[in-house]
Amino acid sequence: MKKLALFAIIVLIFGTISPSLVNHAYGQNDPSILLRIAVQADEQIVNQLNGIYENKIPNNIEILYEKGHLSVESLNESLSNDDIEKAKQDFLLAMNSFMQISRIISQSSEKVVVVTVSEKSNRNISSEIDRLEKYVKSLENISKKYDVNVESNFIKIHALIQELRVEINNVNKVHTGIKEIKIILDSIKNDIRESASKHKSDFIKRFLDRLLDKITNQLIMAEDNGVDQTQISKASELILEIRELLSQNQINGAKVIFSELKELMKNIGYPVRIT
Amino acid sequence: MTSLIEPIQLKNPLGDDGILFVRNDSIFDTMVKIPLLLASMIIVAALLPIQSSFSSPRDLDLIIYPDGTTHVSIEIDVDPFSTDYELNLFGNTIDNLVVIGDDEFLLEFDIIDNFALIQTFGSSVITIEYDIHDLVSKQGKLWTFSLDSPSNFTLLLPQNSAIVGMTNLPINMEIHNDQNQLTLSSGSTEIDYFFTTTITSNPILDTKTETDYFSYVIVGVIIVIILIGITIFTRSKQKNSNSIEQTLTSQKNLILDVETIFALKPDLREDDKELVKFIFKNGGEALESELRKKFLQPRTTMWRAVKRLEREGVIKIEKKDLQNLVKLRKNMEEEE
Repeated sequence: MKKLALFAIIVLIFGTISPSLVNHAYGQNDPSILLRIAVQADEQIVNQLNGIYENKIPNNIEILYEKGHLSVESLNESLSNDDIEKAKQDFLLAMNSFMQISRIISQSSEKVVVVTVSEKSNRNISSEIDRLEKYVKSLENISKKYDVNVESNFIKIHALIQELRVEINNVNKVHTGIKEIKIILDSIKNDIRESASKHKSDFIKRFLDRLLDKITNQLIMAEDNGVDQTQISKASELILEIRELLSQNQINGAKVIFSELKELMKNIGYPVRIT
Repeated sequence: MTSLIEPIQLKNPLGDDGILFVRNDSIFDTMVKIPLLLASMIIVAALLPIQSSFSSPRDLDLIIYPDGTTHVSIEIDVDPFSTDYELNLFGNTIDNLVVIGDDEFLLEFDIIDNFALIQTFGSSVITIEYDIHDLVSKQGKLWTFSLDSPSNFTLLLPQNSAIVGMTNLPINMEIHNDQNQLTLSSGSTEIDYFFTTTITSNPILDTKTETDYFSYVIVGVIIVIILIGITIFTRSKQKNSNSIEQTLTSQKNLILDVETIFALKPDLREDDKELVKFIFKNGGEALESELRKKFLQPRTTMWRAVKRLEREGVIKIEKKDLQNLVKLRKNMEEEE
């Protein structure tokens, strides 16, 4: 029995520690990934420097580049020696140097414009169409789940998307097309919502029923543990009220009362959560 | 008849000094209910990962578009007894947000600043997809991606982008359609990249000399020749006895073509049909991980799709090196 207990303790200790080990393992299945990225960055920095400064590279940048490049060489050596820890340090050092250089370059370039991608004018039309198409596909899959009769709308959208791709250089036409697609999508979403409401009601009813049973059991426990009787009575009344609303199909009302019940359960020290 | 009642201390006399000894061996057994202790410890240990797994993304995949907008795809295990779940969206300029619960039902949500309050109502897994414009900024020609991620994540960079700086160690890097896909660990990450037309295709440095390469090639060729020789020898021995049997089974093993499969299963979803087409083109089988990479789908979404096809009898799933190998069924009609 002692051996069994010892074994179980070891297993448990290892089980507790092992996830943290995995997190720090940086599972570089192939450590050469670090070298690939660093070399690519090195070459890219050289290209940028040649393009901007030709042979007149500022001293501070040159020092930084030298530091970065030497770190890449050291990274290569560390990997050859299977010294992964050293390789990680070299990688971070190299990438940090290249990052500093690229930021200096971008700040000192002639017209420095800091662009916020969130501004619509800065978005790329082709990318916007790609994203819209992805969104359309998501809604198309959902609509099939609900048996909504919107197939013709989707056919129309797909045709419009094809058209927009052909007319990609005609910015005005593309913007008008995107607006048109969004209007059709709004109509599809409304249809889906309508159809979903029935499914959702059944779903929520089942969910609340299950949860109310659980809360009732918790209240019995709370009563045994001497929780204030008035609070327990209030909770029981709320449960009855929710059940009544559910039977009348008043889902939204039931949801509101449920939030109140949830708060009350939290206050008496029996929060509604999985046990 | 008269049985003497003997005091216990006489049966187990105390030590010479009259000190009460308690044996170390027995204290563990007598004072602690070991099975109970073990059971409780195991339960605690088993519950820990479940507890911590709730509300932490199971999958987090990001795709950066050429204009810096990022598509985010998250799958999260949520508490099925909760009515709602608050999700950090990483920013507040959000487009095309879709939240799907169990059985691919659409879930409702409210966006409050950087958070989405999702009405989960009993769902145990939720999938969230949206586009966000806050994760990438641009200064001059330099693009910077920044994220403080709660979990490990994959990041697909745009085509023709070259990383020139990063603050985090990548876990993995793969190439998909000429795009770099990095797997990164949780925590704060910043990645700087430029767009370029001169990305080297095979940028791995190697300081080994050409002579080293040559000697490796010679050794490699010798090993391959030996292996081929062994294989031919072994096969030629088996060939005679198996040839008739093989002819029969190979006729049986011909997989159905895609059109026949679709004709037999007209109700297959369009995205599932795409999977079937890909598997067919791939020689009738593909690893589930390959399917995920090809269709850029999160793990669980692909798993559900594969399970659907298995239920339909279109494919079968086998284990290969701890991975799921998805194979088209060879005799669908017979099994139906």
